[in-house]
Amino acid sequence: MVFQNMQNSSDKPASLHDKPSLRTVFGVLRSYRMRSGMGAWVLHRLTGLMLVLYLPLHVAGLRSLQDPAAFEQYVTLYRSPLFKIAEAVLVGVVAFHALNGLRIMLQDFFFRSDRHKMLFGVVMVLTVLVTLVAGYQILSPYVAAFLFQ
Amino acid sequence: MKAYAAGWLMQRITGAGLVLFLALHLWVQHMPNGFLATADEYNRIVAEFADRGPVYEEALASGHLREALDGEHVITYSKVAARLQNPWWKAINIMLLLFGVAHGLNGVHNVLRDYVHRGRLRLIVMGIASLGAVWVSVVGIRSLLAVGSGL
Ligand code: HEM
Ligand code: HEM
Repeated sequence: MVFQNMQNSSDKPASLHDKPSLRTVFGVLRSYRMRSGMGAWVLHRLTGLMLVLYLPLHVAGLRSLQDPAAFEQYVTLYRSPLFKIAEAVLVGVVAFHALNGLRIMLQDFFFRSDRHKMLFGVVMVLTVLVTLVAGYQILSPYVAAFLFQ
Repeated sequence: MKAYAAGWLMQRITGAGLVLFLALHLWVQHMPNGFLATADEYNRIVAEFADRGPVYEEALASGHLREALDGEHVITYSKVAARLQNPWWKAINIMLLLFGVAHGLNGVHNVLRDYVHRGRLRLIVMGIASLGAVWVSVVGIRSLLAVGSGL
């Protein structure tokens, strides 16, 4: 529907004059992300909300701390392969939100705005590094068992 | 606008604290160090489970308790309890909990301010979120106090 309107009306914005195609869609998406830290903002909000969802689930599960047998089984459930993958993803989510949050705080107080893009690059590199190091610890025994058992 | 600035500052103070507490948390829960059981240690613990009564026996039989893989590091109750016997660790965990709750609730408030413009609806959603925050704080502290202090 949106696309039909785009083709028929004459007062559409210049960037929408192209015929609808996969390429145009990607072009529009790219123009969003490139604009002034939009991607960083969306990711920060998304990861923050994921953690808000995780915290009550985590604390609800940890009620088992009051019963050693229940706690042991709770932890064992989280040792199945799918949970291990989710665990590595969660570390990535925490790492991004924490590092990007630090960047926001540093920028608020110290840095000139011409440094923001560079700082976001640093955030992404460190996020990947932290996720890889923790992800290796979390997943390598499972990958090894899968390959060589 | 005063409340707005307080929320802004609050998000930064709790965020700074969370960097410290979550770094420690991830270190303790995921990295190979004395706070996790090595595969050998854990398999010895699993061997002892068999003598601890029917609950453990059943869990072992049904796979709800199982041995470690080669090279795996495992979170286990005795290690957690030993760490939480240290009042510093207990305090760190309580701070992680309360800072996380405060930061998360304030974050939800910010997000609602952007997307929900009907004042009444926003109030209701914030009310539910606040109740949830109280529940998480109370239940979380109760669990933490129950470990390693005989409460
Ligand atoms: C690891 C340390 C953390 C740091 C350094 C941090 C930092 C920040 C900062 C600075 C903001 C404000 C962003 C802005 O004003 O644009 C923020 C927002 C937020 N944080 Fe965190 N945070 C951390 C952990 C967490 C955790 C554990 C949760 C979940 C319980 C969380 C949930 C949120 C939410 C929901 C927002 C609102 C997002 C928005 O308004 O777009 N954060 N965080
Ligand atoms: C998958 C990754 C995680 C694992 C395996 C994990 C594991 C644990 C364990 C075993 C405990 C019990 C207490 C202790 O050992 O000190 C605990 C407590 C806690 N964790 Fe995590 N955690 C993870 C991620 C997180 C994240 C991302 C947050 C923050 C949003 C968090 C917040 C907490 C809090 C607040 C407590 C205290 C719980 C309570 O009061 O009952 N954890 N965690």
